[in-house]
Amino acid sequence: MKATIEPPPEEGQRLAPLHRRLGWFLGIALASAVGVAVVAYALKALLV
Amino acid sequence: MDYDAVLLARLQFAFTIAFHIIFPSFTIGLASFLAVLEGLWLSTRRAVFRNLYLFWVKIFALSFGMGVVSGVVMSYELGTNWAEFSKMASPVIGPLLAFEVLTAFFLEASFLGVMLFGWRRVGPRLHFLATVLVAVGTLVSAFWIISANSWMQHPTGYEQLANGSLRAVDWMAVIFSPTFPSRLAHMTLAAYLTTALVVGAASAWILLKDRAQTESRMALRMAISMFAIVAPLQLLAGHESGRMALEHQPLKTAAIEAIWESGPDQPQSLVGLPDRDAGRTHFEIAIPGVGNLIQGVPKTRPIQGLDAFPRADWPVVGLVYWSFRVMVGLGLAMIALGVWGVWLIVRTRLEESTWYLRAAVAMGPAGFVAVIAGWIVAEVGRQPWTIYGVLRTADSASPVGAGQVTVSLLAFMVIYAVVFSAGAVYILRLIGVGPATEPELPHGEGRAPGTALAAARAEPEA
Repeated sequence: MKATIEPPPEEGQRLAPLHRRLGWFLGIALASAVGVAVVAYALKALLV
Repeated sequence: MDYDAVLLARLQFAFTIAFHIIFPSFTIGLASFLAVLEGLWLSTRRAVFRNLYLFWVKIFALSFGMGVVSGVVMSYELGTNWAEFSKMASPVIGPLLAFEVLTAFFLEASFLGVMLFGWRRVGPRLHFLATVLVAVGTLVSAFWIISANSWMQHPTGYEQLANGSLRAVDWMAVIFSPTFPSRLAHMTLAAYLTTALVVGAASAWILLKDRAQTESRMALRMAISMFAIVAPLQLLAGHESGRMALEHQPLKTAAIEAIWESGPDQPQSLVGLPDRDAGRTHFEIAIPGVGNLIQGVPKTRPIQGLDAFPRADWPVVGLVYWSFRVMVGLGLAMIALGVWGVWLIVRTRLEESTWYLRAAVAMGPAGFVAVIAGWIVAEVGRQPWTIYGVLRTADSASPVGAGQVTVSLLAFMVIYAVVFSAGAVYILRLIGVGPATEPELPHGEGRAPGTALAAARAEPEA
């Protein structure tokens, strides 16, 4: 079973390059924001 | 709109906001707690902090979700049940709520995704940044909501147009109305205390079963530190908030203290049964000569009593009076819990004290009760106004009938009972299991780290 909430990297595990980690950071944040916006506009569409 | 419909609309808002306030008052503190835990894990690399983080982040995610769902309902209620209020006040209140969504909610919602799904992908430091941003987002959210509510308690920086609607003329005066700083401090500290009480109760519950559980020992100590520091600060913040109420809403103060007659050198009512119709408090126990001192005014200065205001404007005195006493009583119990806990820590007897652990468990819901009691004091005490001195509650409601409001109220009660009971039971089950103590298993092997199953015992008890 894959973890729902991701745990921290294992001790000694090599991290991905910074640009890739920054990409994930911004990508996940943007995807989350877009997800919220989609729900908000869907709710608005239901009312109008 | 007839009176019954107004009363039902008020009941509906009271019901939905009482449910809603439970979640932000918990998640504001929990987000900061998570940031502290992750910061400590980053600086010390002790597994205890990581395990606590992975345990509480699940509860945070659930509570955050339920907070969002219950909050959205209230936005709609402003339109369905309080259309006249919205029509008149939205040029002032609308931007404050929009700022809350744009600056706080999106911050929280965006970086919650990184918190939950990105630890390995973004690495420890960027993940910590996401946790801090979410914690900041919860505080910014509190800032805007308390700003809007404080403006409704004491409106400043606006003008009324010929058509009756309100318009901001000084946004700084709108955002930073006089009661805002003390009310923000009071609410934020209340949120921290609420979280500390839940963390303390959850940890004490586990320790009652296993006194050596490392994570719960650490979490209980952290919670006690919060009781010991924040609860006394809350007393000061509450006093300042009360002083602001006396200055700007003397009728509310008169109801809180059941002061029926104006005059100097007021007694301090401790307990009693206020009788609005008779204009007196039955079976009252009061301390003479200290009322003015507690209100922070000279003994010779008169304090306005309820007799200084038209009887039609009086709030429900008994409800305000007793809600205040419940809040203050619980606040004093929190201070006592902090002092007792520190004393046990100093004597290295914390985990041995079954009575303390039981008391900590019993006090778990106290923060929620105190927060709701405090909001009853603030909101019922403001009646009969929605915007104090500007717009009456009876004039704020939508032109809808009692039947329509009753149907939606019943629908909310049924849906909330199902949805939030399920959420609450799930959270309580997680708390009952407690944080993991063993090292997390790698991805894809057995019970996944970070999941509820991983938090459960590896081997079920026979």
